[in-house]
Formats: sequence, structure tokens, C-alpha cells
Amino acid sequence: MGMRETILGDGFYRYDPEGGRPRGAADRPHLMVRDGLLQPALEERTASGICLPGESLDDDEMGGPVQFPGGIAMPVQIERVLGFGRSFSFWPLLFGLACCAIEMMALGGSRFDMSRFGMEAMRASPRQADGMIVAGWCSIKMAPRVVRLYEQIPDPKWVLAMGSCAISGNVWDTYNIVQGIDSLIPVDVYVPGCPPRPEALWQGLEMLRERVKQSRHAYDGLRRIPARDVLAAQTAAAEACAPAAGEVKA
Amino acid sequence: MSALMDAITAAFGARILETGDFRGDLTISVAPEAWLEVLTFCRDNEATKFDMLDCLLGDHLPERAAAPFALVAQLVSHTYGHRLRVKTALTEGQAVPSVTSLWPSANFDEREAWEMYGIGFTGHPNLIRLLTTEDFEGFPMRKDFPLEGTVGGRVRTDLRGKI
Repeated sequence: MGMRETILGDGFYRYDPEGGRPRGAADRPHLMVRDGLLQPALEERTASGICLPGESLDDDEMGGPVQFPGGIAMPVQIERVLGFGRSFSFWPLLFGLACCAIEMMALGGSRFDMSRFGMEAMRASPRQADGMIVAGWCSIKMAPRVVRLYEQIPDPKWVLAMGSCAISGNVWDTYNIVQGIDSLIPVDVYVPGCPPRPEALWQGLEMLRERVKQSRHAYDGLRRIPARDVLAAQTAAAEACAPAAGEVKA
Repeated sequence: MSALMDAITAAFGARILETGDFRGDLTISVAPEAWLEVLTFCRDNEATKFDMLDCLLGDHLPERAAAPFALVAQLVSHTYGHRLRVKTALTEGQAVPSVTSLWPSANFDEREAWEMYGIGFTGHPNLIRLLTTEDFEGFPMRKDFPLEGTVGGRVRTDLRGKI
């Protein structure tokens, strides 16, 4: 099935007009089933989908008009106006995992003051948020909650991975830490550091604002979050196995 | 030795295997069979009155071949302001009676000691994993647990129904 049909059938997402490889985070690393276990596909990581400051896209690169279900097209210009508005009222989810969250609070405080950019309203409910800052390491036990919070944020949404732990697990290549949050949810901007200073997070948020203005999302071309794909594959595999087991018993 | 230690040694005598006093930090060692009895005494006796279990934790000492595991309880008395450390040495797979009946706060501490070191507690009301996922295998704070890699089911969690 072509890219266009897949996307039109699935809702309000950008598509690749060339019919080729989806742009953005489609080829980002995700959980995969290997040896019968759910494991991160670390070796499949690539460095795509990262937006640099000053990077601009013309209409072709923007992917043409946005298609709503039913074939209604929204012109790119309208999308740009919407993105311009959104970029000045980006409300992150009030959500911190570890020590990076302290630096995130510093950015919200009066010294760095991210309310200058319309970001001071960190919403306590994902249903009111425009995105999330994954600040800190994520344990395996916390991972389902993080994915759930991400799923509860309404589209369009953006994710910033803050700090080495959220990006790669840092030194904690251990039994209990997710080796990079992008193995579970699509990430727009990566801010390295341990923890990053508030200035670094500020720059990351500026890069995120560029993406908001351009209406680019990490889930462009993804249409599903990776964890859901893995679960669907697992369910399909279980259903494929079930009749075979029944035949053996009969 | 203080009145506190006098009261305990008078009550248990040779069943206190070892006593220690490091700059006022009092420590006693007991056999696992006397664990519940000694702690019950420490809580209820008029001379000790340890009304609080500060923490209860496990330890793994593989160089101690005969009894590689240790269980340590830190007691605090708000009546007298004194503290006591009670230790016991355990072999692999050996269980001790739970002290949740004495101090309810021991509930989480014992769950953690069980999940991290595999120390069993008989009579615990809810001895399930506390910090790791339900399907985790192994006891990660043991010295022989691998430091790195996909051990114990690192990302084997079944996310269905949770996200």
C-alpha cells in the first residue's frame, strides 16, 4: 500500500508527496521484538528528524497541503499561520522524571523566565498540553506511564528529550532504565547534557519552536507510536500461534 | 555499656551474638531465629521503647561464604532518643519472620529487601515487587547480578493494558 493511502486512511498527518520514505521520525529507533522479547532497536538509530535553528522549508519540503480524512486539503499557508500562533503559546506538560527537572524548573523561574516565550503555563494535565519535556531518566516501570501521558496529549504535539539519560540512558545501561526515550515515543529535539543548563534547554525549546512554526512533528510519517507497533506485532504473533496450539491439542 | 545494652543483654544473654559500639552507634547481632523475638523486645520493653523502625535493609556479602546475606534494622526511640542497629546473617534462600506486625513501615522495606536481595519474609502481607516490574527475574542488588545489559528482562515488560 502506498504512503498516501496509508496516511489518508489514518487521519491528520503529513505525508510524503513523492510516495517514498516518510520524513521525520519514521526511521527512528524503536522497540522491536527480538528473540521473542520486547527490546530497543538501538543499532537502528539514525540521526534524522532533528531541526536546526534557521532551517527553513519551502512548500515542497513542507509536504504540500495537509490532508484531512475525506480528502479535504488545508493550504500550507493556513498551516503556517496556525504554526506561528502555536509557537508563541507552547504549553509543555508539567512533568519531570529526575534531576533534569530541576534545571527545567530553573528555566521556568524568574532568572531564565521562559514565560517570555509563552511557555510558562506548564499544564498539569496532558489534555491541555502541547507537548512534553522528558526531563531525566525513565525507568522500565515508569515507561508505560510516560507513553500514556504522551498519548493523552492531543495532536499536534512535540516532544523534547532533555539530558543524556532521556536521550540514551547515559551510563545506566542497566536492568531498569529505558535506553533512550525515543525507543518508546517519537522525539523532536534532543538536548544533551547531564543535566543540561537552563540555557541549553532554552535553545532546545527555540529549536522546538522552529518546528512548531513549520508544523513539523516527530511523528510525521509515523502515524503510530512505536510502542503501539510492537504491541500490535506481539498481538498478531500471539494470534498466529493460538490456532496452531489448538490443532496440536485436537 | 549503656542501660539500653544492659537491658538487652540481660534479657537475651548469649543469644546476642555480638555487640558493637562505634562512637555511640550501638549494634547487636542476633541469629535469624531470634530476629522477631529481639525486635519485639526492643519495641515493647520499658528500658528500650523503640517505637520507630527507621529503616530495614538487606545486604549481600559474597565473601562471607557461610552466610552471604545480611539484614539490618535501624531502630529509633522517641522516648529516650536512642538508636540501635540490629543485624542478622542469612544464608541463600533463608527466610525470617516479617516485622510488619511490629512496625507497619516495615512493609515496603521488606518488599524492597526481598526484591533486591531475595531475602524471604514469612508472614508478610504483600510480598510483591516494589521498584521493578512484575515480570522481572533475579535480584538486582546482589553482587553477582550483571551491571550492564538485558538481564532480568530489561525491556521485556508487556505494555498491553498499561498505556
